[in-house]
Order: sequence, then C-alpha cells, then structure tokens
Amino acid sequence: MHAIFIAFDQAHYERIVTTLERLSCRGFTSFDQVKGRGSKTGEPHYGSHAWPSMSSAIITVVEDEKLDTVMKALKAIDDATPRLGLRAWAWSVTRSI
Amino acid sequence: MSLYASAVRRPVMTTLCYVAVAILGLFSLSKLPIDLYPDIETNTIMVMTTYQGASAADIEQNVTRPLENALNAVNDLKHITSKSRENISVITLEFEFGKDIDVLTNDVRDKLDMVKSALPDNSETPIIFKFSTDMIPIVMLSVQADESMPGLYKILDDAVANPLARISGVGSVSISGAPKREIHVYVDPERLEAYGLSVEGVSAVIAAENRNIPGGSFDIGSDTYTLRVQGEFTDSDQMKNIVVGSYNGRNVYLSDIARVDDSLEERAQETFNDGRQGAMIVIQKQSGANSVEISNKVLKMLPQLQKRLPSDVKLGIIVDTSDNIRNTIASLVETVGYALLFVVIVVFAFLGRWRATLIIVITIPLSLIASFIYLAMTGNTLNIVSLSALSISIGMVVDDAIVVLENVTTHIERGADPKQAAVHGTNEVAISVIASTLTLIAVFFPLTLVTGMTGVLFRQLGWMVTIMMIISTTCALSLTPMLCSLLLRKDVKHGKIYKVLFTPVNSALDWLDRAYGKLLTAVVGHKTTTIAVCMVIFVGSLWLVKQVGTEFFPTADDARLGVSLEMPIGTRVEIAKEASLRLAEEWREKYPEILVLNYTTGTASSDNTFASLQDNGPHIISMNIRLTDPGDRDRGIVEIADMMRADLKKHPEFKKAQVNVGGMRGGSMSGQQTIDYEVYGYDFDQTDEAAAKLVKVLEGIKGTADVTVSRADYQPEYQVDFDRRKLALYGMNLQTAATALRNRINGSLTSQFREDGEEYDIKVMYAPESRTSIEDIENILLYGTGGQAVRVRDVGTVVERFTPPTIERKDRERIVTVSTVVSGVPMSDVVAQSLAEIDKMDLPVGINIELAGSYEDQQDSFSDLLTLALLIVILVYIVMAAQFESYTYPAIIMTSLLFAFSGVFIMLYLAGHTLNVMSMIGAIMLIGIVVKNGIVLIDYITLNRERGMAVRRSVVDGGMSRLRPVLMTSLTTILGMVPMAVGSGQGAEMWRPMGVAVIGGLTFSTILTLLFVPALYCIFAYNGIRRQRKKHALSLNKK
Repeated sequence: MHAIFIAFDQAHYERIVTTLERLSCRGFTSFDQVKGRGSKTGEPHYGSHAWPSMSSAIITVVEDEKLDTVMKALKAIDDATPRLGLRAWAWSVTRSI
Repeated sequence: MSLYASAVRRPVMTTLCYVAVAILGLFSLSKLPIDLYPDIETNTIMVMTTYQGASAADIEQNVTRPLENALNAVNDLKHITSKSRENISVITLEFEFGKDIDVLTNDVRDKLDMVKSALPDNSETPIIFKFSTDMIPIVMLSVQADESMPGLYKILDDAVANPLARISGVGSVSISGAPKREIHVYVDPERLEAYGLSVEGVSAVIAAENRNIPGGSFDIGSDTYTLRVQGEFTDSDQMKNIVVGSYNGRNVYLSDIARVDDSLEERAQETFNDGRQGAMIVIQKQSGANSVEISNKVLKMLPQLQKRLPSDVKLGIIVDTSDNIRNTIASLVETVGYALLFVVIVVFAFLGRWRATLIIVITIPLSLIASFIYLAMTGNTLNIVSLSALSISIGMVVDDAIVVLENVTTHIERGADPKQAAVHGTNEVAISVIASTLTLIAVFFPLTLVTGMTGVLFRQLGWMVTIMMIISTTCALSLTPMLCSLLLRKDVKHGKIYKVLFTPVNSALDWLDRAYGKLLTAVVGHKTTTIAVCMVIFVGSLWLVKQVGTEFFPTADDARLGVSLEMPIGTRVEIAKEASLRLAEEWREKYPEILVLNYTTGTASSDNTFASLQDNGPHIISMNIRLTDPGDRDRGIVEIADMMRADLKKHPEFKKAQVNVGGMRGGSMSGQQTIDYEVYGYDFDQTDEAAAKLVKVLEGIKGTADVTVSRADYQPEYQVDFDRRKLALYGMNLQTAATALRNRINGSLTSQFREDGEEYDIKVMYAPESRTSIEDIENILLYGTGGQAVRVRDVGTVVERFTPPTIERKDRERIVTVSTVVSGVPMSDVVAQSLAEIDKMDLPVGINIELAGSYEDQQDSFSDLLTLALLIVILVYIVMAAQFESYTYPAIIMTSLLFAFSGVFIMLYLAGHTLNVMSMIGAIMLIGIVVKNGIVLIDYITLNRERGMAVRRSVVDGGMSRLRPVLMTSLTTILGMVPMAVGSGQGAEMWRPMGVAVIGGLTFSTILTLLFVPALYCIFAYNGIRRQRKKHALSLNKK
C-alpha cells in the first residue's frame, strides 16, 4: 500500500476527487485550505494580499498496483493546466489499522 | 458557505432572486409619479392681525412689535419679517427647511396665546396661515370671449370651474378677469336733492321691495294652503317702477331719480389673452397632490369642457407647470439612456467579449431598478435629483462587477474550471470590492445628513446612490460569479468580425500601455520635477478660482416669463389697459417666440384667493408669457428677458417693471438669481435716501437688472377731515358721516337680485359722472338725525394727503430691501463690486446694509456643502486607512483630490459655467470616484512590493497593469456624465454644470493621478526603506 500526498491549487479539487473515484480509490482525507509554494516555479498560495490564492491537499492510500495509474492521472491533470499547480508524492505505508 | 459559493452552486435561486427584485422594481417604477424636485416641505408661516383704523406706524408699534417679540422665541426660526400696513399687520416666519411644520404651527399658536393680552383691545385675533409651494398655480387657462363676455363669469363658473374643482387633488379653481354681474342703481345727486331723498333711503326702499315673504297657512274646506307674497324682482327693469318716495303728493319712481344699470362689477380685474379680452382660470393643487397627475386630468377634461361652452368662448393654456416637468424628466431619461449606452460601449471596447460585457452590463439595470423600490417605498417621485442619481451611478455600479470578472477571468485563463474560478476568483477580491464600495458610501451617505434646502434636495441623491452601490456590490458578489461560472469559457475563439473590430482597439491599448510604461519610468526617474510640475498646475488653477464666479442655482429655461408692471399710483385702469395693449402688441411682433401672452390688470375681488394674494390694483399689470420650447428657438430665455428689460426702459409710463424668468422672482430654484440688499434703519428718510443711493450704485454695475426698492411710494389720496363739533350740531357723528360718504361713492349694498339660482348684488350709488371731482365730494349732501341736510364742505374739508408706506421689518428691525436680478454674469461678480461700492458709501449712523436673497441661500448652502466635503474627506480617509492599515498611503491617494479640484475649475472656466450648488455636488461626488483610482493603483503597487519587487519596478509594473482598469472605470463615469454635460433638453441648464464638474475633475485627476501618485509613492517608499536601513544599522552597531 502507498500513501499519496497531493498538494494543489484549490481549483483542482473537484477534478482530483472525481479522478480518484474513477480509479476506484475510495478512501481519502482532504485539507481544504492549506498554504504553500512550489520549490522551483510554483506561485505561492498564501491567501494573503500579495498572494491571494490558496491550496488544498489530499492524502489517499492506494493499493500498490494502482499507484502508477493514479500518479499518471494526476500528472495528466497537471500537464493540462500547468499554471494552477499540482504536485503529488507517494511513500509506502508500513502499517495500518 | 459564502455568498458567492452558494450563488454559484444555486444558479436558479440566484437568478430568480434578482428577477424578483427586477419585477418589484419595475412595478414600483410604474407607480412612481413624476415631479420636478423632491417634496420640499413648507417652511413659512404667516400671522395676520387686523386692527381697524390704525395707521401703519400704530400697527407697527402696537401689534407687530409685541407679536414679533413673542414669536421670536419659536424654535428653528430663521428669519422673522413683517409688514405693517394700514389696518393690518402681516408677520412672516421663515423656518429652517425640513422641520415639521405642524409642530412649528403649534408653537406659534402657543406664543400667540401668550401675547394676546398685550395686544390692543380692538385688534382681531391673529390668524395663522401656512404658506406652501402648493399655493403656486399648476395650470393657468386662458379664456377668450366675444359676445359672451358679459355673462362670462357665470358661464365659466358653471361649465369650467366647477367640473375642474371636482377633480381629486385640485385645491381651488379661481376665475379672474371675468367680472361678475352686478346691478347698479346710479342715482343723480341733484334729482335726489330736489326730491329730498337720500341714497340710504332709496336703498332701504329697494331692499324692502325685493322680498319674498311667507304668510303662513290657512284652511279652505278640507285643504290647507300656504300664503306667500312673492315680491322679488324677476327682471331688473321692474326696479324702475318702484315708488321711492312722494313729492308734493305725487309718487316719485326710481326711474325719476336714477337709472338702473344691469351690467358688471365696476372695479374688477380684466384679463387679455393675445390681445382679446377674456378671463384667466387659475388651478391650484391640494397640498401633497401630484402636479403632473392633476394637470393630466385637467388637460384630458379640456376638450370635453370646451364642447359645453358657447362657440365664441375658447379655452387655452397659458401655463402648464407639468409641461415643464414632463419635458425636463423626459430629457433627463434620455440622458440616462445615453449614459447607459456609452458605458456599454466602453465596457465592450475594453473587455472585447460580448459574454463578459453582458455579465457586467446586467448589473446596471438591476441596481437602478432596485433603487425604484426605495423611491416607491418612501413615497418619493421621479425627479431631477433621483434621475441625476441614476445617471451618476451608471458609471459606478459596473466597477465592482468588472473587478470580479477580471479576477475570475485570470483564474480561468490559468486553467481553472469556470465554476471553481468563479468562487475562488470572487473570494480573493471580495474584501477590496467591499472596501471600495465603502469609500463611495462614505461619500454619498453623508449627503443624507445635510440640513437646509440643499439637504432636502440631496438627501434623496445620497440615499439613492448608497442603495445602488450596495445593490451593485451584492450583485458583483453573487450574480456576477454565478453568471461567470455559466457564461465564461476557457478557450475563447474569436470570429472574423472580432478580429476586424478589435485588432486596432487592442493594438491601441497595447501601445497606450507601453507609452504609459515609458512615461512612468521617466516620471519615477525625475520625481522632484514631476511633483513640481504637478504642483505648478495645481497652484496655477487656484488662480481660476477667482475667475469662475459663484451663484446659487443655474437659471433654467422653462419657457415661462412673468412680467409685472407698475404705472404711477392712482393711474386709471383704462390707461393701464391701453399701455399694456400697446406693449403686448409690440412684443408679439418683436418676439415670434411668444406662444401665449396674457395680462391682467385691475383690482382683484376679495373672493379670488389667488389674485388677492398677489399685488393688484388699477395701476398694476401682471403678464404671463409662454414661449416656445427651448429646443425650438435660438434665443435663450435669459436673452429674451434682457431684451424685454431693454424695451421696458423705453416705456417711461411704466414706473416699475420686472421681467421674471420662470414666472416668479427669486422664489423658485430655477428662476434667475436675485440679490437682496437689506437696508436696516429706523428713520424713514435716512433709509429711503440710502436705498436710493444703493439703487444708483447697483444700476451702474454690469449684470444687474430690474433693481427694485421694496418700500412702496407714498400714496396720494383724498381725505375728508370732518369737524366733529359741526357734525354734532347736525346730530351726526363721524361714523354716520363716513358711512354716508362710502354709500355714495363705493355704493350701498341693498339686497340681492336672484335669477336661476344665482345671486347678484344690487348696489345703489352716485352715477359715475357725478363722482369725478373734489367738488363732487364736497357737494355730497348728508342728512342729520333731524333730517336737516348739510353738504360735506360745510362740516369738513377735503384734503389731499400722502399715506405713509408700508413699514417692513426683518428680524425685529425696520428694513428697506433693494433687490436686483443677476443676469448674464456670475452672482459673485455683482456681489463683490456692489460690496466695494457700499463700503465707499457714506451711510448715516444706525443704518447698515446686509445681503440676502439667493445670495444668502447660496452662502448657507455653500457652507453646508463645504462642511460636508470636509466630513466626507475624513470618512474616506478612515475607510482607506483601515483598508491599507497605513496612515501614509491614504494621504498619498488623497493628493489626487487636489487635481480633481483643479480639473473642476479648469473645465468650469472653459465651459463658462459658474460654481453653484449643482457643480459643488458634482465636485463632492468626485471625492469618492477620484480616490478609487488611487486605491486601485496603490493597492497593486503594494502587492508588487509584497511579492518582493523593488520599489521602482513595483511602481512601473503596477502602473502598467492597472492602467486599463483605471482608464475603464474613469471612462465609464466620464462618458456616463457626457450626456448630462452637453444635454440641450429642457432643464439641461440645471445639471450641465454638474456633468462638466465631474468630467473636468475626473479627467484631470485621472491623468495626473497616474503620474503624480506613483512619484509621490516612490519618495515615501524610499524614505521608509532609508529609515529601516538606519534602524537596522543602529541595531547592528549596538551589537
């Protein structure tokens, strides 16, 4: 099992949730308003006067065989709208209850 | 969930909410009556007290003064003026505008009760009389007649006045100029004397003969009959055969000593319409009724009434005040329409997409329509003020929607789904949208707090704009995002037409962006020079402040002139008639613009309420002139009035002449402005002399016209001084002798002649040819109680005397008012020149001259508006400081106000307008609009700095990216005002200065703001950085 942490511009939220659903990844946890900025070119999402936009984040845990499909789908979303910003990181889950 | 999120999620609900508002608004609009101004409450109360037999000076001393002293304590009193005339004292109390007149009336009544005991015993109880604008006639009809002239009064009374009076809302209908029928018994004094009869005796006999007396009832057989004596005359000729006495055993018939003249009142007003004799019907409305509605009903009824009249009687319209209202409102509605069109064009040009334009433009009708709900709920009308408010707002209500739309578009372009973009895009700008609306509300809401007459006028403007701003912001935060989510597309494909149309527009805008970028770089590089140049322009424009004159209200062309002419006192009515006929013919020929010319002369009968309130007399002629519509003629009303004044100078027979634009002098807001110079002083001779000097001074000043002195001339009259001892010898007293005189000259009212249910007076008096000289008076025979006859010359002397004039007082001091109409030049010019001349005048001690009239109103209003402007500036500063969390930035933004000020004066100067209440209101509105540009600019510059850019780069970059929004909001407002500024419809004179002021101020300040504010910002920013570095260095040193 792998956990995927997805950080993205708020506007992506619905698209990501639909994608996850389509890929039969039922479980996820979403953080509605989070702040942050990308390491290289990512525009800051601070919800401040200067940088008014905000990000959201989703953590989802998927079966190992689904990992690639999910990551690919997310990459496709990011490629379609590069200026909004979407990043995802996956790491293995060692234990769960 | 936030407003915009739920709006986007529930488009049906959002749409229907606004549809409901629109329907309610349109429903309210259909119910809204129209009027010229918002309801102006009455603010004048008159107190009239009669004291028979007292002279003007006695009245002043014993009635007016005690009353004034008591009434002076009434609250909210602005001025107390009084006129003490023979037999009567009239006190006028002028209150602050907007106070509850009923409460004030009660106060006045209480004070009168308190002082009542201090009045002379024989004086009557003071009568309180509320004067209101409702007294101004709303429709005046002209009547032309030929054969029907003798019976005109009855015809008009039955067939016109009574049906009109039944229209709901009509207060009173008075007929003037149509004399009533009256039966005169003209006795020959010599025959009377020969037969030993007297006027009183003859009257008594006539009264005794003209009787119907019931004789009770009696029974004949089984029936009861009533007995009556029917002696009333059925024909005036029957009177001739009455036996009035006997002489040497023979009957003396009335025809032996008198002739019976069944004709018209002797002294009556006569009216001429377009040279033909006729009458005038004056219709006044009930208090609170709507003039346009009533006039519509009256006009609708006219053809019907005309049918009932004899064929030679023609009805026409002299004055229809609602005509002016309708035309003015129509031309203003047109102005609002053009403003709407211009705004749509600007929005479309800048956005380049019809969907976006639609989203923006839809907020305009919604906000405007919503304000109609307010008008209907508060019982207001569609008037100049409320429509101006619409016109002003059109440019401003789109601003919020534009900001929202722009940000949503950015999000969509970045790749967000329209729905998400709409919610998040709106969320980001919501705070700044609300803040910018707050700055505008900070400007317009205080308008609702102004007092005085300006307050009455502009309270509505304040409320309307405030409401429209709130609605437009709500719209921008709910409807706009909803529509964006539905209508905006990610990839916009443009058609061919778009490319043809918008390639030049876009390249022009791009070029403008680049040019401004370059200019801004240069400006930021030469900050001191820029600021110096701007300040020079500002200081230079201060010089114009002196050049642009000031006045109260602009003169409006309502196609109506009132001319009042006065011939020397005592002129016979025939001579006045002749002179006015000559003048009327001359004018009709000279001024083809005259549509209707009507004039009235003579003494008004006491039962004509309208005429008796005005000055009237055999020597006074009042003329009403209606001109063609302003659009249909080349000469303006002021020009025509000036030419008429010049004409009147060539007619020395008219001793006093006034030509009043708008029908009334000074009183209405639309007429020509007057300046009253009040000469205070107790001594008649000294004040008369001062007034005469002042008249000479004023006539020498350019721009004055119709200089008049309020104190009437000493009136010559004949008085009979009876010797009381001689009267007593004949068993008479002063009253019996005086009554006998009155019966012979004025006539003794004996009884009434009845015909067709109407009653006509029968008057016995000396034949006209027997009362034409002093000898005739001296020869009048009086009879003592013992029956012995004596001539007036034996018991008294007839002398010619001058009665003292009316004594006028203001604020409990004697006063003479010299008043002048201001024509062709700003009021301030005349005031300045005359004040300089008055300073040079050598006035006796105790006499001083003060200014009043429109000038005083103007001073009051201007000081009110200046206080208001100060209040608004402070409020706007507070809102901005709160938004920016800084004291400096708002101050920087506020500097653009200086240039707005310059712009207002420069444009007013160029367009030849004056600074008046309307242009002041325009200038005040500018505070909010101008500041908004600065906010947009500074906001983006600080944003750039927060994003880490260097000061100079932030300024140039921010300026370039905000150029379009700034230009767009300014252009929508400027173009929205253009139709107002160049309008030529009826009443356009009123709002033209306002449009010009806004356009001038906004254009000028926008251009200078785009250069001056960045330069100033740089200076402050660098100073701030320097300070920080110093602090930093200090703290490093310490370590």
